[in-house]
Amino acid sequence: MAKTLVGTDYAPPDLIEKITGRAKYAEDWRAEGMLFAKQLLSPMPHARVRNIDASAALAMEGVEAVLTADDLAEYMGEPGPLDERSLTNHPKYEGEPVLAVAAVTEKIAADAIEKIRVDFEPLPFALDPLDSIAPGGANSLPDGNSIIRRRTDTGMETVVERVEWTAEDLATARGSNGEKGRMPGGVFQDEWTNGDLEKGFADADYIIDEPLFFQSVTHHPMEPRSCMAHWDGDTCHLYPSTQSVAFTLLAGQGTVGVPPQNLIVHAEYTGGGFGSKIVGTSNMAVPVYLAKKTGKPVMHRVTRYEENYIGRARPGFQGWARIGFKNDGRISAFDWAVIQDNGPYGRQSDMGTSGNMVSLTYQPESMRHRGLSIATNTPPRAPQRAPGGVQMSAMVEPLLDRAADHLGIDRLTIRQINIAKNGAKFGEAEGRNVTTAYVAEAWDRLAEMVDWEEAKARSGQMNGSKVTGVGLASSTYTAGSSGFDGLMLITPEGRLEIHTGIGNLGTHSFSDTARVAADLLDVPWEKVDMVWGDTGKGVPHTCVQAGSQTTHAITRATHAAATDMKTKLQELAAQVHGGSASQYVVAGERVYRRGNRAAGLSLAQAAEKAIELGGRYDGTELNEGLSPITLGGAAVLKGRGLLAAAKDNYGRAGDVYSWVVAYAEIELDKETGVIELTDYKAVTDCGTVLNPRSLGGQLHGGAVQGFGCAVGQKWVYDPQWGIPFANRFYTARPATILDVPLAMEWDAVNMPDPNNPVGSKGIGEPPMGAGCASLLCAIQDALGQDTVAYLPLMTDHIINQLEGREQDSEFLAAHT
Amino acid sequence: MQIVQRATNPWGQDVLLGIDWSLFWIALIAGGVFLILHLALRRRWIGEEKKAAANAPDDPGLPKKIQRHSLASRLFHGVMGISMILLLITGFLPKVGLQFAWLEIHWITGLILTASIVFHIIHATFFQSLKNVWVGLSDLGDMMREMRKAVTGGEPPAKPGKYPAAQKMFHHAATLAGMAAIVTGILMMWRIEQPLWAQDDYKFFGDGGWGWVYVLHGVGGVVLVTLTVAHVYFAILPEKRWMTWSMILGWIDRKDYLRHHDPAKWPVSGGK
Amino acid sequence: MAVINDMIPDFELYQPESLDGALEVLDRHRESAWVLAGGMDTFDWFKDRVKRPEAVVDLGAIPELSGISETDGGIEIGAMTPLTAVVDNELIRERYGILAEAAETVATPQIRNQGTLGGNLVQDTRCWYYRAGWPCYRAGGNICYADTPESMNREHCIFDASRCVAVTPSDTAPALIVLDAEMVIRGRRGERTVAAEDFFVGPAIDITRMTVLQPNEVLQSVRIPDTWAGADFYFEKVRDRNAWDFPLVNVASAMRVEDEVVQDCRLSVGAVSPVPLRMERCEELLRGQTISEDIATRIAELGVIGAKPLRHNGYKVPLMRNLIRRAIRGQAPV
Repeated sequence: MAKTLVGTDYAPPDLIEKITGRAKYAEDWRAEGMLFAKQLLSPMPHARVRNIDASAALAMEGVEAVLTADDLAEYMGEPGPLDERSLTNHPKYEGEPVLAVAAVTEKIAADAIEKIRVDFEPLPFALDPLDSIAPGGANSLPDGNSIIRRRTDTGMETVVERVEWTAEDLATARGSNGEKGRMPGGVFQDEWTNGDLEKGFADADYIIDEPLFFQSVTHHPMEPRSCMAHWDGDTCHLYPSTQSVAFTLLAGQGTVGVPPQNLIVHAEYTGGGFGSKIVGTSNMAVPVYLAKKTGKPVMHRVTRYEENYIGRARPGFQGWARIGFKNDGRISAFDWAVIQDNGPYGRQSDMGTSGNMVSLTYQPESMRHRGLSIATNTPPRAPQRAPGGVQMSAMVEPLLDRAADHLGIDRLTIRQINIAKNGAKFGEAEGRNVTTAYVAEAWDRLAEMVDWEEAKARSGQMNGSKVTGVGLASSTYTAGSSGFDGLMLITPEGRLEIHTGIGNLGTHSFSDTARVAADLLDVPWEKVDMVWGDTGKGVPHTCVQAGSQTTHAITRATHAAATDMKTKLQELAAQVHGGSASQYVVAGERVYRRGNRAAGLSLAQAAEKAIELGGRYDGTELNEGLSPITLGGAAVLKGRGLLAAAKDNYGRAGDVYSWVVAYAEIELDKETGVIELTDYKAVTDCGTVLNPRSLGGQLHGGAVQGFGCAVGQKWVYDPQWGIPFANRFYTARPATILDVPLAMEWDAVNMPDPNNPVGSKGIGEPPMGAGCASLLCAIQDALGQDTVAYLPLMTDHIINQLEGREQDSEFLAAHT
Repeated sequence: MQIVQRATNPWGQDVLLGIDWSLFWIALIAGGVFLILHLALRRRWIGEEKKAAANAPDDPGLPKKIQRHSLASRLFHGVMGISMILLLITGFLPKVGLQFAWLEIHWITGLILTASIVFHIIHATFFQSLKNVWVGLSDLGDMMREMRKAVTGGEPPAKPGKYPAAQKMFHHAATLAGMAAIVTGILMMWRIEQPLWAQDDYKFFGDGGWGWVYVLHGVGGVVLVTLTVAHVYFAILPEKRWMTWSMILGWIDRKDYLRHHDPAKWPVSGGK
Repeated sequence: MAVINDMIPDFELYQPESLDGALEVLDRHRESAWVLAGGMDTFDWFKDRVKRPEAVVDLGAIPELSGISETDGGIEIGAMTPLTAVVDNELIRERYGILAEAAETVATPQIRNQGTLGGNLVQDTRCWYYRAGWPCYRAGGNICYADTPESMNREHCIFDASRCVAVTPSDTAPALIVLDAEMVIRGRRGERTVAAEDFFVGPAIDITRMTVLQPNEVLQSVRIPDTWAGADFYFEKVRDRNAWDFPLVNVASAMRVEDEVVQDCRLSVGAVSPVPLRMERCEELLRGQTISEDIATRIAELGVIGAKPLRHNGYKVPLMRNLIRRAIRGQAPV
């Protein structure tokens, strides 16, 4: 078989721009007369703005405008009481932006902020969900502590309710009199049960009942969410930091109050998002309306400090797991309950997803899922890399090891016994199924890579004061959607121009997915031009660059468009050289009659022919079923060459999920609590590998993010004032390059998923959970089986455990 | 010049922190100015006083030594005086640039002062006559006459009982300032580590309330600075030394008794 | 006045080319002046507008403050010498390896390139309440936000709290204390020297400063005598991650051992008190002893007597104990 671009390492088309510093990220943009914006943030965790006096600021030379929540309401309409806007008169967390100033320099804008007097009325606040649901606990919102969505006669509505547990339920949940917390009763909002849970526990030979804690974690992408905007008549040019270009355009009405037809999004480069910039960012309205108000371009550079507040975070979980194991290690019952620290705005899906992940990952014979989402006066939450999945893996995987050790089963075996296979059912009423799950193959490959028997023998070995610990973990997550459009052009220069509306946040998927077309059309990669990051240059309707959808969804859409292109090439050749289209092949930058290379057209000739013929060849007429955004994109390209645009109408037999299984080895110093990660290996089932080098980057990069989550990153709030301190890279402590082994290995089972034309599935999500959970398992292995199921397991926790000391914070207390 | 220090609290609110430490210098200067004024005016009457002292009446029927302060009172005064000086030194010197480990000395001395004052209150209430220090309308009149005499050289006030009006007023001013400093000082001990109770900086008050506690403590302190200057000054003035000695020895000479006190208002009940 | 972070306010920048020039400016501006070395501590303060000096004196252009030279009885290191130069210096590595080792644990390679030895010694505490600009005792206020019943004080002190519970963040300080270094301080009235252990000031004496440096003085250099050159050294820093982190506890020791008997020793622990602690009582007990696990353990136990942990830093007591033990007997049990 000829070597394909799919599956081959390559230099992505943005490489030179990036390494030479020419790549323009949001805050690199400049425009004539551009102003700079700075924001005034709420100093209180929950307050109402009674009055704003900006007169002294406005009197300063160089200050051009002040934008308030009232101004935004005028431009965008009144927000709902629970809607998050770029600016607010009712801040619900310390650091929430209240107003913004535009001035000729950032320094003047900052000086102006200092001259503004805002009269805040402090309101009660809640930082810890368990404290809030305690009898008489503080509410985080005026009317309660939980945001719920409910169906009404006219549709869905979002309301707030007060959730309160009894003191008895709380005592059970938290533990009392030296006893650990246990699975509580209490009020939950989500609940479903599969199978006969009681029977499952009755059948169990060993039952674990544990409280679990997973901290909230800020996304902290390298690039903060800076944004520039200017207006050209009624058209707004937006330069955001976004994960998704086409969807930032589509969501414009909701995010900045500008409909897609009046919006042009420029975002070629984004320095990561991890789910926090899916359709742009919450602050985009600030430069948009300051630009509107002043008639000048406005740049809003967001600092790391501000990023900590408005940059989104993963919801923390206070949870409980009661798991029944049979003697052979099979999980007969899994009772899972979590309280989600939701932050003050939109209800997050993490807790619901975590139940699905339990169901899918371990395929328990019976299970119950319960979830409760409690709003807190802490920064807004958003999906973060495997939302709900990372929390679940990190909290549950160490429990599997405990069960394995108790039952005398190999830790790899217990995972292989409770495993999902192709077509595995999961979720509420087991109403969903995955397409493929080559997890067993991944475990086999990993066991081979690490020489599991040898690794096990190293467990517990002492080297001076250091003990070796080894850990295994698996993690899964969604890996693809479908139904989007592909758009491409062959130009009269004979080049293949592929347009994409996905974002370029450093994963290379914007170009990886295009290689499918080059393969299908047999165009060398050097002859492919990628056009991305600018909706003014024509983009198709592409998925959000989130939930690891892109690889699967956009290879499908690209394949559909490339197939359309191929058909059109064949038709054009047949029109020129006679015969039927099916007699023509597309190869070697030509379309020609099978067996007679001379009887055909070069790609350049085909493009010229398309322009000459017009109609369905040059984009004048387009296929049925295309999205309006694709139609708009095609209109930009019309008449420039041979245009192909097609919707992904391929079928799919289930939900697409990818998997990572991982091995971590550590040395833990029993005198200092210091952990050194000495080895990390990961194997994935993500379907066909598109770009090996980039896949390695995802597997290891995600793992490193997981390591930080496991042992380093922790929000710390002063409970008296409701103010956090871990608000920059130093205090937030994500893992650094010096915290991980220099050489980490990875592999992929590389089994194609039949639901994708090239067999690919996404891979962004699960590496983080695998990294996080395998490290925790290794720490537990080194410490012994009584390790607290707590994240982050920082030095103080480990020392206290080693010394048999009580922990300095209450186990389920958030942000301490 | 600022009178109080203010700061922005973690919620961005403007709050009181305490007095501005420049008030210490003001208090010290105020004490000095008083001292200089008094010395200047003193020249006008000191000659007459000396003459009067030389021709002082005597009454051999009375004991030679008239007891003015009991041992308990003198001990209290000594403890209180030393405490006060120590408190002012440890309280103010670090604020004006002389750094040393002052805090423990300060609060321990503060507790000693408090204990001595509690003793004094009990002793004075149950074992002494509160009447002696009571300031009545006649005392105010005497004060006015005393001041008029000092400034214009008019008629002196009538002889007092055990304590002259000025001394009573001083006592009450010191009591007021001292009590402000003591009560607030005890509250402030919730904001430091000490063995008596658990530190809790948020107990009792919010930021604003605590700001007032610190202001009152500071105001009490600076007032005491001025009062101490005045007190020490009078203690070493030659014409007042009979009183100073009485605070050390407990008794006054019969002549001083007759010269400075009205036996009708303070009849002698004991002596040697 | 509303608060805003991340924007350095205006100040007058002075870049003198001589130390005398710098001292003249400092003397002129006194409390309203700020000494800028590598900027690693400074710019945090400036960015958040918590410290707003009128005049900033950049010492970067003063040649006499930089460099490492051999002296009669040891070496002298200019205060502006970058930490990387300290780490890489052959003489230091050969004779005072503990200093190189300590300097190498500071922050990140990038910060060590920019940060200076002097800056590492005189840097302000990292108490996050204080650095957030809250009006605490150290900032001239009337409360320690880090020492209330619910405060987040995992990183704070277990010894010598006096209203303030912040700790010394320096990694090089304990190493210099065990090396018996002298701090050379220059003011307009000339030079004075202070022993490394006396250079640092606790809150009991002065709650607003970390060192004896007066506002019109500059740390000129650090002199290390040859007293401990080539001794048996031990340095260890425990932190939450391997880069860009201050010590939870660090320890340094220097020992002269003959026939397995400790002839002389010095021991210092950082990040457990507002100043780096010299563990004189431990040293006294260790002299004349043959090193064994038992001796190391017993002395380490004594070293933590009197520790008063706060709400969230009880773990520092066993950590400090174990680090003292390791400073005596090495990383591995004997």
